[in-house]
Amino acid sequence: MKIQAQISMILNLDKCIGCHTCSVTCKNVWTTRKGVEYVWFNNVETKPGSGYPTDWENQERYKGGWTLDASRLKLQIGSKVGVMKNIFSNPFLPTIDDYYEPFTFNYSVLHSSSRFTTPPSARPYSMLTGEPMEKIEKGPNWEDDLGGTFKERSKEKNFDNVDKEIYGKFENAFMIYLPRLCEHCLNASCVASCPSGAIYKREDDGIVLIDQNRCRGWRMCVSGCPYKKVYFNWKTKRSEKCTFCYPKVENGEPTICSETCVGRIRYIGVILYDAEKIAKHASVESPVDLYQSHLDLFLDPHDEAIVAEAERQGIPHNFIIAAQNSPIYKMAVEWKVAFPLHPEYRTLPMVWYTPPLSPIQEQAQSGNLGMNGMIPDVDDMRIPLKYLANMFTAGDVTPVREALVKMLAMRAYMREKTVNNKINTDVLEGTGLTPEVTEEMYRYMAIADYEDRFVIPVSHREYAYDAFGDKSGCGFSDGEGCGSMEVRLKDLFGGI
Amino acid sequence: MDHFFNNLFFTYLPHIAMTLFWFGVITRIVKTSRSIQAESSQFLKKSGQRIGGNLFHYGIILVFIGHFTGLFTPPELYHIVMTTEVKRILAVGMGSVFGTAALVGIIILIYRRVSVARIRKNSSPQDLLLLLLLLTEMVLGIFSIFTTAGSSVENYAALGEWAQKIVTFQPDAGEVIAGHGLTYKLHIITGLFIFMVFPYTKLMHMWVAPIAYFFRSGWQLVRRGFSSSTNK
Repeated sequence: MKIQAQISMILNLDKCIGCHTCSVTCKNVWTTRKGVEYVWFNNVETKPGSGYPTDWENQERYKGGWTLDASRLKLQIGSKVGVMKNIFSNPFLPTIDDYYEPFTFNYSVLHSSSRFTTPPSARPYSMLTGEPMEKIEKGPNWEDDLGGTFKERSKEKNFDNVDKEIYGKFENAFMIYLPRLCEHCLNASCVASCPSGAIYKREDDGIVLIDQNRCRGWRMCVSGCPYKKVYFNWKTKRSEKCTFCYPKVENGEPTICSETCVGRIRYIGVILYDAEKIAKHASVESPVDLYQSHLDLFLDPHDEAIVAEAERQGIPHNFIIAAQNSPIYKMAVEWKVAFPLHPEYRTLPMVWYTPPLSPIQEQAQSGNLGMNGMIPDVDDMRIPLKYLANMFTAGDVTPVREALVKMLAMRAYMREKTVNNKINTDVLEGTGLTPEVTEEMYRYMAIADYEDRFVIPVSHREYAYDAFGDKSGCGFSDGEGCGSMEVRLKDLFGGI
Repeated sequence: MDHFFNNLFFTYLPHIAMTLFWFGVITRIVKTSRSIQAESSQFLKKSGQRIGGNLFHYGIILVFIGHFTGLFTPPELYHIVMTTEVKRILAVGMGSVFGTAALVGIIILIYRRVSVARIRKNSSPQDLLLLLLLLTEMVLGIFSIFTTAGSSVENYAALGEWAQKIVTFQPDAGEVIAGHGLTYKLHIITGLFIFMVFPYTKLMHMWVAPIAYFFRSGWQLVRRGFSSSTNK
């Protein structure tokens, strides 16, 4: 057994209001540089929709993630020879138009030109060419709040095996906000597809990073990642990705997207897992079994034998304590209300999601829809169960249904308690919940105090190396040396 | 060609070029290895890159291998399996196929770089100058194929002899090809010029070709970012 700690995240989609604060704060911190104007390490998409980049869930097109080849894991983009033969031109690479052409507006014209005879307007300018753009064709969140036609949006993969036509009707329309960031996978396919070996997973906290000093810009990771969360900086010609705000996390602080989330939907905590079993658990035959197989990798931090073994293997004490208090362990393992995004990609993603409730309360109370005691029937929700299952459990509706039933039962129980001042255990029947667990779930999922949401151990970086040499350095830079990239590129060795 | 210039270009210049090449390559790798990388414009525009990039790269790699083995294999060695005549047929045949592939590829790439606004605006002068330099070299190379095919076998064999004399530091190297045609000579001079500018351009990306990928044992890479136990 090789015990490792992973700092992971859960997003409670039931509470996401789609305000994009996470995306904007992330952008301001990490991707305001040239070459990454189009990059959103964190983005929020409205589902159903084709997403960002367009059609990212279509792995027949982009070839992200893993596939099983005679029960052995194989990259979708091909074997090592397959990857290398495409190195001069990658047929599965998305182009910038699949994201969007970055643009700005010539605002200066508004106050520098002479009087307009018509109401003034600022024109969009391409940030790739500097030329004016006739029309903005696409943006980072083009289908926000169900923008565009149902015909276009419904092309997405989560509608597989869903009778989707009826959801095109106005009265049946549904939507979900899906904030996405790098999944910091246990079996990362970007790492495996990088020919230079520049991408790596940190042993200490499981954060996946790209070594900018070793990235040679072959772009295979962009294809390899099924979530399309590795981005090619077209200016430096190197790839970049979400860093899980590692400078903050090392200090025991939450990532900027979590810190600023106004809906308090994000949870960060430690999960202990057995690293030796990753390959075996990622290669179970049926994709439907991947969710359970993923859960089975996690170790119980309350088990004394596990704790002793973890201590012996050098997991720091504060990481073990954090694992015991981890909101992730509670939600994913104990309550089973959180699910990985697209487990069928076999990357074992470590950013999980609590599925959203969508009871049609009005209809349910007027008796038009099924009621299971006080709880509206989950199969009659506005968001089709199968759609959620296609997203979170490779199509298996049972775990998603159970999670939704638990969340509805929690609501019913707490409503009885706070409104009628009555302890009604009837509503918990058949859900496997006890009043104690229900109240704890309520504390974590509804109240969601800062201390409950973020249980992040401070890393022992002080043992890594003597940081004295870093004094008066330039801190985090995007490549070689200090100063702006433009200046450094003019260097003799950077080219003529 | 004048004796002095013949010596200058074909006895001394190769040594100067090789010195500059190796000095540049070594200092660049030692001092600034982090800036050596492939550059790609595929992300900005796909059209033409697939066919152009593949034709050019595969073509030029095979042409390079052909030049290397053809020039530096001593006659005693290749005579075991073939005559000089046969070797010439091989050289002309493969050279024209792969050379044409690379030429077509680079023409597509040049057209792409000039005609696509996104790529043109984000190109440095180096990008275009290198393409033109390689184009010149390739056109001269293609023309020299006709000379090779049309002249005597001795004329062809002398090219290998010249190259081997250069790398073995023979002072009479230039004499060997003094009587050769201008196409050959321009091809050689342009080639040496490419070697001289090589370390200071993006051509350096050849040195970071990720061959090690084939030998990586596992798929996953894990690094100890910072030691997690106090006794380390």
